Amino acid sequence: MSARQPRFNQHLLIDTTPLPDSIPKVQEVGSSSAPLLSASYFIGARCKAYNDDYMQCKTEANGKGEMDCLREGRKVTRCAGSVLEDVNKSCLEEFRKHWECLDNNNQQLWQCRKWERPLNSCVFEKLNLEKKIPGAPENETPVHLRKRQIFAHSIMTQ
Amino acid sequence: MPQDMPPSGGYEPVQYRRNLPVRGFRPAYYLAAVGVIMTYGFYRYGQGIREQNELAREKMWSRIYLIPLLQAEEDRDLVRKTLASRAMEKELLGAETKVYNSDRFVRPTYAVTPANITK
Repeated sequence: MSARQPRFNQHLLIDTTPLPDSIPKVQEVGSSSAPLLSASYFIGARCKAYNDDYMQCKTEANGKGEMDCLREGRKVTRCAGSVLEDVNKSCLEEFRKHWECLDNNNQQLWQCRKWERPLNSCVFEKLNLEKKIPGAPENETPVHLRKRQIFAHSIMTQ
Repeated sequence: MPQDMPPSGGYEPVQYRRNLPVRGFRPAYYLAAVGVIMTYGFYRYGQGIREQNELAREKMWSRIYLIPLLQAEEDRDLVRKTLASRAMEKELLGAETKVYNSDRFVRPTYAVTPANITK
């Protein structure tokens, strides 16, 4: 069975050899989960084409996706990095409040609508990226725009 | 001489007949009230379920948008480790050995542990 987990009892052994120079380097997005969750819809809005390219490459590569789709992967990372950089430049305070709230609330988006609204409006004004939930039923307001969140813990954070 | 006599007007009459008045609304009204309360409860429950579905959809789409970024990062790490292990194999053994007859990537069964502890 080729996926057997190794068992190192005493030490953590990490091979720290970097990538060979033939592969272009890309600035990694060193973000933790809360800022990524906060910015996920903006990443989706700006990077839809790159994401779709990458996923198509992976599905068609048929086992060799890791080596063959490195180029699309670099494009995806660069696009997401650009979104995060732009959000940091233009809407830093709202962004920070929102992801700190998410950190305090188990990454549950419905507890932090109070800070999500100013973030969404700031990003829409400055960067022209809108948060849309695909597949939501058309005849009701989307859940992130509703005045009252049924499951939020307190009225102050709605 | 004073005696313990009954009061001058006599006692009031003692109630000896049954007095069990039938109280309450008509049973149909009670059933109607129960029905209304239950309907309202189910309506609110359904609202909550619908909102939970929408929240689940929001959560799934945020994860979907983040998958390519995270997968690309993991792929780069995997490629780095594979190339490093191939280079180490070439250095130690002199040639690359092919375990299987096809070119598909298969996670290797054995890993060479480096001589120096890195962490």
